[in-house]
Amino acid sequence: MPTQKISTLRVFGAAAIMAALLLSSPLSTFAHTIPNDVTLQAFVKPSGAHLYLLVRVPLKAMSDMEFPEREPGSLDLARVDPTLREGATRYVSDAIELYENDIRLLNPQIVDTRVALESDRSFTSYEDALAHVTGPRLPDDTSVAWDQTLLDVLFDYPIHSDKSNFAIHPQVAGLGLRVVTVLRFLPPGGAIRAFEFVDDPGLVRLDPRWYQAAARFVDMGFLHILDGTDHLLFLFCLIIPFRRFRELIPVVTSFTVAHSITLLASAYNLGPSALWFPPLIEMLIALSIVYMALENIVGGATVHRRWIIAFGFGLVHGFGFSFALRQTLQFAGTHLLTSLLSFNLGVELGQLLILALLIPVLDLLFRYVVAERMGTIILSAMVAHTAWHWMIDRWSVLRRYQFEWPALQAAPLATALRWMMLLVILAGLAWFLWGEMRHRALRGAAGKAAPSPRNV
Amino acid sequence: MNRKLYVGAVVLVLLAALGIAASLLDKKAAVEAAAVQAPRFEVDPMWPKPLPNHWILGETIGVSVDGQDHIWIIHRAGSLEANERAGAANPPNAQCCAPAPPILEFDEAGNLIGHWGGPGQGYDWPDSNHGITVDYKGNVWIGGNGRGAQPARPAAAAPASAADAQNSENVSSGTASYNDNMILKFTQNGKFLMQIGKPNHSKGSNDVENLRLPAKTFIDKQTNEVYVADGYGNHRVIVFDADTGQYKRHWGAYGHKPDDANLGPYDPNAPPAQQFRNPVHCAEISVDRFLYVCDRINDRIQVFKPDGTFIKEAFFNKATKGSGSVWDIAFSKDPQQKYIFLADGMNDRVHIIDRNSLEIVTSFGEGGRQPGEFYGVHSISIDSKGNLFTTETWRGQRVQKFVYKGMAPVTTKDQGVVWPKAAAK
Repeated sequence: MPTQKISTLRVFGAAAIMAALLLSSPLSTFAHTIPNDVTLQAFVKPSGAHLYLLVRVPLKAMSDMEFPEREPGSLDLARVDPTLREGATRYVSDAIELYENDIRLLNPQIVDTRVALESDRSFTSYEDALAHVTGPRLPDDTSVAWDQTLLDVLFDYPIHSDKSNFAIHPQVAGLGLRVVTVLRFLPPGGAIRAFEFVDDPGLVRLDPRWYQAAARFVDMGFLHILDGTDHLLFLFCLIIPFRRFRELIPVVTSFTVAHSITLLASAYNLGPSALWFPPLIEMLIALSIVYMALENIVGGATVHRRWIIAFGFGLVHGFGFSFALRQTLQFAGTHLLTSLLSFNLGVELGQLLILALLIPVLDLLFRYVVAERMGTIILSAMVAHTAWHWMIDRWSVLRRYQFEWPALQAAPLATALRWMMLLVILAGLAWFLWGEMRHRALRGAAGKAAPSPRNV
Repeated sequence: MNRKLYVGAVVLVLLAALGIAASLLDKKAAVEAAAVQAPRFEVDPMWPKPLPNHWILGETIGVSVDGQDHIWIIHRAGSLEANERAGAANPPNAQCCAPAPPILEFDEAGNLIGHWGGPGQGYDWPDSNHGITVDYKGNVWIGGNGRGAQPARPAAAAPASAADAQNSENVSSGTASYNDNMILKFTQNGKFLMQIGKPNHSKGSNDVENLRLPAKTFIDKQTNEVYVADGYGNHRVIVFDADTGQYKRHWGAYGHKPDDANLGPYDPNAPPAQQFRNPVHCAEISVDRFLYVCDRINDRIQVFKPDGTFIKEAFFNKATKGSGSVWDIAFSKDPQQKYIFLADGMNDRVHIIDRNSLEIVTSFGEGGRQPGEFYGVHSISIDSKGNLFTTETWRGQRVQKFVYKGMAPVTTKDQGVVWPKAAAK
């Protein structure tokens, strides 16, 4: 206890000294405020034994730099170069970590710096941006407020090969309250890969190998299912009456196949893009939970019936997964399909973990605490109550959207026909699977009913 | 087995039929796409986000998008009714509301990220704010059309119509008071940089030191000159150096020397007026170096070279009386600036105009106060992605965003409210 008191006193003492130091510091330290909204634009281009990093960042984001002024507030372009180089190192190359084959690239050379006006549009392409940063400077007599200008800087990193695996970790969140990084990677061969991050996205592999993309998306899928309360509640309702793995396999598989179909369709832009579609899906997800819980309460759920329902609602949940994926597909590189399948795999692993945890808990609950039927009703009623409120809330959001039939133009009609083709394929597939399942069930029943030769 | 074959055959036939139909429709879609096209927009009803501090906008009288795609607006707190200011009384009379600061800055998502404005030391803040422009260096320019204390009008200068009287749009020569004879230049933080003109000092349309109720500015990056649509009191475009404020040149309609003779009420059937009417409401230079001037009450755009040489003119909704049809313009974001977006505040439409022919391709909007409708659409600006922003005066009093949805075949001349149909991809 005395030790605790001493450390508390020390903490208070240190805080008081810090506060005194801060208050006694010259005002100029606080002269610049942290901007609300900063956009950092960057190109990464490996070429031969060099990797070029071309960055544009607002001067006002370099909050503790003192830029030379011609008159108060007006940038002195004739004397600004050394400060620009210092700012480029402190705020850009020290903050943006670049890796070649997982080894950090260090000590870049600053090829050139320029001051640009905010209205300058040369960062729309690498060629224009390069021409700008190595081209003519703004005339020294240009009168411009320092905090309305941008720093353009070109760094040159020595590398072993332009075909190496490159990764970036832009730790630039400190440049503003919200920092958007717009990054374009230009590997040899002419492709351009675009990224957009908010604040610090962690390590980003610019051209991931398939297994790196897969690992990232398995991880995302796994975390998404654990994080998604509505998906978890749906799964929970699905398994309350069926707590044996063998019974659950067709149900969970059916759910998985269905959500994979709509997730893939959505990722390949085959899903509806109407504004009302995401709220509709969110509402239907809540409805799926209510339905499943009510079916548990009413009773009479069979495995056969449940896998069909799981398939139908799985289609809905797949669209829900796709909304979560939309912003992260940029990390897939050229491995879109692999990444989507990996995301699904992660979702499945998450589901399996949930099953492995829930089934024994439910078994114990029904064995020692409450009778199975009563327990099923109580648990399902609680879930139904929560999901009902979600459904009402989401319905009120959905009602705000105005549904409008698209004008009868050829292009949307052609898209509608393609959707009908997909529906025909799905209906045919469902019909075939249903027939097969029924056939097997009948054969199984016939096998059990027929007397074995030994008993004859 | 037979049943399976039968169902399989039906599925295949259906697929083939749908596939052939889709392919035929694709060809038709290609033909449709090759027809007359125009940029398509949808209103974003969720933009901007609610203002903090119970702030409310008055007549929202200017909009400009800066180089970072931040959206700047200016409004008139003085136009708010007493009930709209009840929350600002000391002590407050109600929870709602308080006038927002005159100049507001939003980010692309519609968050309010900056605000300032109002009287200060070293400059004369307008009596009635009007127009905002963020120039290529990021500086903020404003004008004003406040008259200050209004003396009794002479009979010759009486409003031509009830609408004129209501909107105080038609200002003629005579003894009327013209307080706001200046434009002001600030940094984005609201630091004062320059003022051209002094309050109540204007000597009319050929005074090169003062303006008279200037409506809007445009700053030419190539020459660092500021073009002023001047305005509600004068009948001219005037050009100054954007750093020093030094006078360069000025001219009136058709490139004539402007004069302040009373043109009388606008008559759509009369020969075109040889002078601009009040207000000269916008002046914008295109990428190919033509200056487009909004002659609002005359329902026309006049096109000039930057030196004032007249090129051509075009009329829009020529039968429009009252406050006129040509309020403000923005150019499309394609490299050629193929289209002009014209805010028509009297008809409450945005017209999409082919810049070559100066003909309306299609229009959108409708009178009203719901998202996508307008009441007094006064100003228009465009961001780097082609999204449009409009502000409304009178009792419209708001800023709206219209999201650019790409090019689309023109199927109607009057689209009405462009309500959102599809999410952005």
